[in-house]
Amino acid sequence: MNQVTQPAASPHAKPEKAKAENYVRIEGLRKEFDGFVAVDDVSFSIRKGEIFALLGASGCGKSTLLRMLAGFERPTRGAILLDGEDIVGMAPYERPINMMFQSYALFPHMTVEQNVAFGLVQDGMGKADVAARVDEMLGLVQMSKLAKRKPHQLSGGQQQRVALARSLAKSPKLLLLDEPMGALDKKLRSQMQIELVNIVERLGVTCVMVTHDQEEAMTMAHRIAVMDSGKILQIGTPDEIYEQPNCRFTAEFIGSVNLFDGKVEEDEKDYVTIRTPGLGAPIYVGHGITGFDGMKVAFAIRPEKLNISKEEPAQKYNKAQGVIEEIAYFGSHSVYHVRLPTGVKVLCNFVNMKRWASENFTWNDTVWLSWADNSGVVLTS
Amino acid sequence: MSRSLTKLKKRLPGSRWLVIAVPYIWLLVFFAIPLAIAFKISFSQAAISMPPYTPVFNWVDGSLSLDINPKNYLYLVKDSLYVNAYLSSIKIAVVSTFLCLLIGYPMAYAIARMDPSTRNIALMMVILPSWTSFLIRIYAWIGILKNNGLLNNFLMWTGLTDQPLAIMHTPLAVYIGIVYAYLPFMILPLYANLVKLDLRLLEAASDLGARPWKAFLKITLPMSKAGIIAGSMLVMIPVVGEFVIPEMLGGPDTLMIGRILWQEFFNNRDWPVASAVSIVMLVILIVPIMIFHRAQAREMESKLV
Repeated sequence: MNQVTQPAASPHAKPEKAKAENYVRIEGLRKEFDGFVAVDDVSFSIRKGEIFALLGASGCGKSTLLRMLAGFERPTRGAILLDGEDIVGMAPYERPINMMFQSYALFPHMTVEQNVAFGLVQDGMGKADVAARVDEMLGLVQMSKLAKRKPHQLSGGQQQRVALARSLAKSPKLLLLDEPMGALDKKLRSQMQIELVNIVERLGVTCVMVTHDQEEAMTMAHRIAVMDSGKILQIGTPDEIYEQPNCRFTAEFIGSVNLFDGKVEEDEKDYVTIRTPGLGAPIYVGHGITGFDGMKVAFAIRPEKLNISKEEPAQKYNKAQGVIEEIAYFGSHSVYHVRLPTGVKVLCNFVNMKRWASENFTWNDTVWLSWADNSGVVLTS
Repeated sequence: MSRSLTKLKKRLPGSRWLVIAVPYIWLLVFFAIPLAIAFKISFSQAAISMPPYTPVFNWVDGSLSLDINPKNYLYLVKDSLYVNAYLSSIKIAVVSTFLCLLIGYPMAYAIARMDPSTRNIALMMVILPSWTSFLIRIYAWIGILKNNGLLNNFLMWTGLTDQPLAIMHTPLAVYIGIVYAYLPFMILPLYANLVKLDLRLLEAASDLGARPWKAFLKITLPMSKAGIIAGSMLVMIPVVGEFVIPEMLGGPDTLMIGRILWQEFFNNRDWPVASAVSIVMLVILIVPIMIFHRAQAREMESKLV
């Protein structure tokens, strides 16, 4: 198979590297609809060859941002630089950007082949070249056998392959994916996620995807931008976003989390203690924070970072006793909802490593929860 | 609930037929039987009697004898008047269908792209004129088109012409009348088709490098094919047999088969020839009717998937 190779950036040439870092540069981008601010002065950069996810609930502005990249919406102000060139003034048909639409928007009156060829024909490519390129693209997504079919004769997964081939056929500088897995059922979804990433990475295409599904973003993207009400709250790799959320919203939006509101009691260089009404004893955090005594903070700890045991743990700090109120059994792990004496409910994941391990705990058992000094995150906003 | 319903269905095997029977009986009584009668008359001979034709079926000595007379059909071929009238009718129908499409497509497109609230007002404006009698509306066109009518008075008032334009009693007047009267039949099916068009397809076309005009030609136009066919047939089929408009707006030289039919039937009282004329017209119209039917069937099929 003929692969599209991107010119490799030389590690020594600094301007080249900076260019690759800022392959897509979004500066102060804003979009208002009749006074409603959909995208609120957003600035960030996307690296060359990166899969970048915009993650947020519906109405957070992620789709508007994507549509501005595609050219379907004109920004109220701000700049979008693609490979150093400002594209804000360009019409969608002039931009070297292609999009895989949500539910694909395949042309129903054209065959698979004609769909993939559409963009190439618009560019005035010769017949033989078009045919060769279409063959190559259909081979890439393993759809060569169904080239003569119409879209309605294809399954959801097959339609998605065609849509991907169509959006990649013109070798765009930037590929946009709008809710790429939205129309697929769960089993197919996880399979296609990996396949899509493999294809995109093989071609080295820079890619921006929009999704409301955090699992999808975490599986597919190299970096994720978490969005809420038109603003980007955090940008980071999937593990950064998960393990080091920078605000309450991100912590709560990604995965599940136990949050304890409280105040800083002792603010030392190498540790902090937090007094929270949810727990009887102060929380001991094994690192310093930028804050002050009495500062209002929230302590966030993921359910899987908590230990659950029948016996009281040996450690001095960071433990609490409670009663199991509910159990959600997932097979691979169980989630225990533990009610503390203060009335706060805490979630705790327990991996069922041994068979029948879930039988150790049952409803109304009194249990101890404990966690290590560095398991949680102190959120200041 | 549903089980008792299926039980009921089993007990009454005829209930489904009963529902279908009503429209079929209607068609039989008001379409098939009259058509059969006209067909029968077309094979008889004109006679000065009541009714004014000879019977085709005769009871002679207790046995049935058929008196089939194909002369009427031969007469249609022999006399160039009829052939010319058919050709002229088809020409007028085709040209006015094309004009309706030319005017109706942009209108339907504009309505389909309107805001849903203004869309209904625009649709009402298309439909509303047909709430008045067809005859009165065509009659009103005489007032507009005649020599001292509204149009000529206006043109002379603006100084564009110093003499009235002779539009009335010309083919132009017939075209104006037909396009005016049948435009809604073009706009409505086109609108129904265009309003369903998924606008993301146009975005996708634009995204892939198609300028708006190219996207229209490659996406909108081919996808509205069913609407174009439906609208064209809804205009063309009735226009071929149109009588009122050429009679009121056309001149004596405007040959249309509907007028010939009228003359044969009422002026010449030649029912057999009139019947033959109408049967031939029906045969000619079968082709466009079949095209219309197939387009409709395909549209229904595509909806099923």
